[in-house]
Amino acid sequence: MFELRLLTIFIAACITHNFVLTYFLGICPFIGVSKKTDAAIGMGLAVTFVMTLSASVTWCIYYFLLNRFGLPFLQYAAFIIVIASLVQIVEMFIKKTSPPLYRALGIYLPLITTNCAILGLTLFMVLREYSFLEAVVYGIGAGLGFTLALVIMAGIREELEFADIPESLKGASITLIIAGMLALAFMGFGGIISS
Amino acid sequence: MIRDFTRGIWRENPIFVQVLGMCPTLAVTTKGIFGLSMGLATLFVLICSSVAVSLIRKIVPNQVRMAVFTVIIATFVTMADYFLKAKFPPISKALGPYVPLIVVNCIILGRQEAFASKNNVARSFLDALGMGVGFSLSLIILGSVREFFAYGTIFDVTILGKWYEHWVIMGLPPGAFITLGILIGLFNWVNKKITGRRQKLKSGCEKCSNCAS
Amino acid sequence: MKKIIQIILVLTIVGIISGASLVLVYNYTSPLILINQKKITEEAIYKVFPDGTTYKKIEKTKEDIFLVEDKTGKKLGYAFIAEGNGYQGKIDIMVGIKPDLKTLTGIEVLESQETPGLGQEITTNDFENQFINLQVSPEINYVRGKKPSKPNEIQAITGATISSKSVVSIINNGVKNLKEAVK
Repeated sequence: MFELRLLTIFIAACITHNFVLTYFLGICPFIGVSKKTDAAIGMGLAVTFVMTLSASVTWCIYYFLLNRFGLPFLQYAAFIIVIASLVQIVEMFIKKTSPPLYRALGIYLPLITTNCAILGLTLFMVLREYSFLEAVVYGIGAGLGFTLALVIMAGIREELEFADIPESLKGASITLIIAGMLALAFMGFGGIISS
Repeated sequence: MIRDFTRGIWRENPIFVQVLGMCPTLAVTTKGIFGLSMGLATLFVLICSSVAVSLIRKIVPNQVRMAVFTVIIATFVTMADYFLKAKFPPISKALGPYVPLIVVNCIILGRQEAFASKNNVARSFLDALGMGVGFSLSLIILGSVREFFAYGTIFDVTILGKWYEHWVIMGLPPGAFITLGILIGLFNWVNKKITGRRQKLKSGCEKCSNCAS
Repeated sequence: MKKIIQIILVLTIVGIISGASLVLVYNYTSPLILINQKKITEEAIYKVFPDGTTYKKIEKTKEDIFLVEDKTGKKLGYAFIAEGNGYQGKIDIMVGIKPDLKTLTGIEVLESQETPGLGQEITTNDFENQFINLQVSPEINYVRGKKPSKPNEIQAITGATISSKSVVSIINNGVKNLKEAVK
């Protein structure tokens, strides 16, 4: 039962309630970075990494500090500062320990701070009263779901280069319409979790 | 001075031209009234932060600029959130976690970085007001269009009668994407007709990365 | 050195001001928020017991159970909040049940994050009214696509079977817990 709940959370975060396509979180990089498939993978992995990390750290901060000392009103300020610092620390750490990884992910890291998917993840996690383990699984699932949406979108956009699109619809407009189709397709997965 | 205000409403409209702040835009616009509330909450945060940032712009060291801006924005967002919870519980419930997500709305941080940290209080105020009004108007339009197709009502006033079969998908995420995509396309088209020259759309993330750096 | 002092000073002052103003706002709004929550609970109780005039919380139990009486002091039944997971997130339901613990007087969905237009239909009166005078023994069941034929059946919402099913099982569980609690 316990494993099943974890699996449900994972699949929900990843597919049926995909962060980008149902909660509209992380739309900025979704529209901006999804032009090339390899860039999309890099960005996706960087986000997954930071999401998992921030889910665990903010969980501890919320339950061991804010909740215990009755400071719920500091939640938003605390979370955004934690995320921003985490991104910085991760960036410095990767730069020191693994230059190849830094070359691959480095340029995406600063972008992540303003990615609303991360803050959204931590807020949803608190709202749904997840346990620590659930929060971590949720973070991984949401990150992978984000990667999935980004990569699919990049694949479509690479093909779109050759399509004949009306002048006014070019750019963000057509991207959003395609995202709508993708969201429709992802809604079709809704029946997976019916237990 | 007047242009500081009008710029945000049409020429640099945060949603239709700059394609910023997508996440609240798409998420809460299932009904006109929610679009309006989200717009007003953002307007409040934007004006307060811009004025505050503009006031202290000379004493904040460059290195910690972003950190200070973020704290200021988060403070006003928390205030807006508690205010909504206390005074308008149904709206607060409907907007849910998208109110705190105003913190990471690129429009707000972007305006601090691009305008309020460089200009005096009066101009920053007008700039924030313009951007906020432009954002709210776009949200109201998007919300009303979706509400009309999804439920046959606008601001909960019934336009189409009982015979109207609810087009549920318009109230769901795919409807949000598609409606906004078409609206942006329309906006471009109208703009082109008016100015007679092509207004190139800047992609969302170029701007986003600007405000992150 | 002067720069560092300036950085520390500015960060500290901004932190203190924002913290202090948040405390003020929090202190001002939190009683109002509490009142709102109490009002929501109260309205839900009187919705499931339209004749109810007074209610009191039963203290000895862990869950929130309210004993509801009408103006003559007659015991109308129990109202309790049942919680559980729906299709998308938590669902909280206020359930009213007669003193014999066999018949529901009504339900009111307090909190749910189901899909708008589909699962969220569980919050409409059309769905909720099906539970008025519904038999809970042996337990509530749901049927799909046809009118319910037995006194313990409700009709699931088209396109939202999972949400309807969740509501049914949340209420069934809640009733079971209630029976143990008031025994």
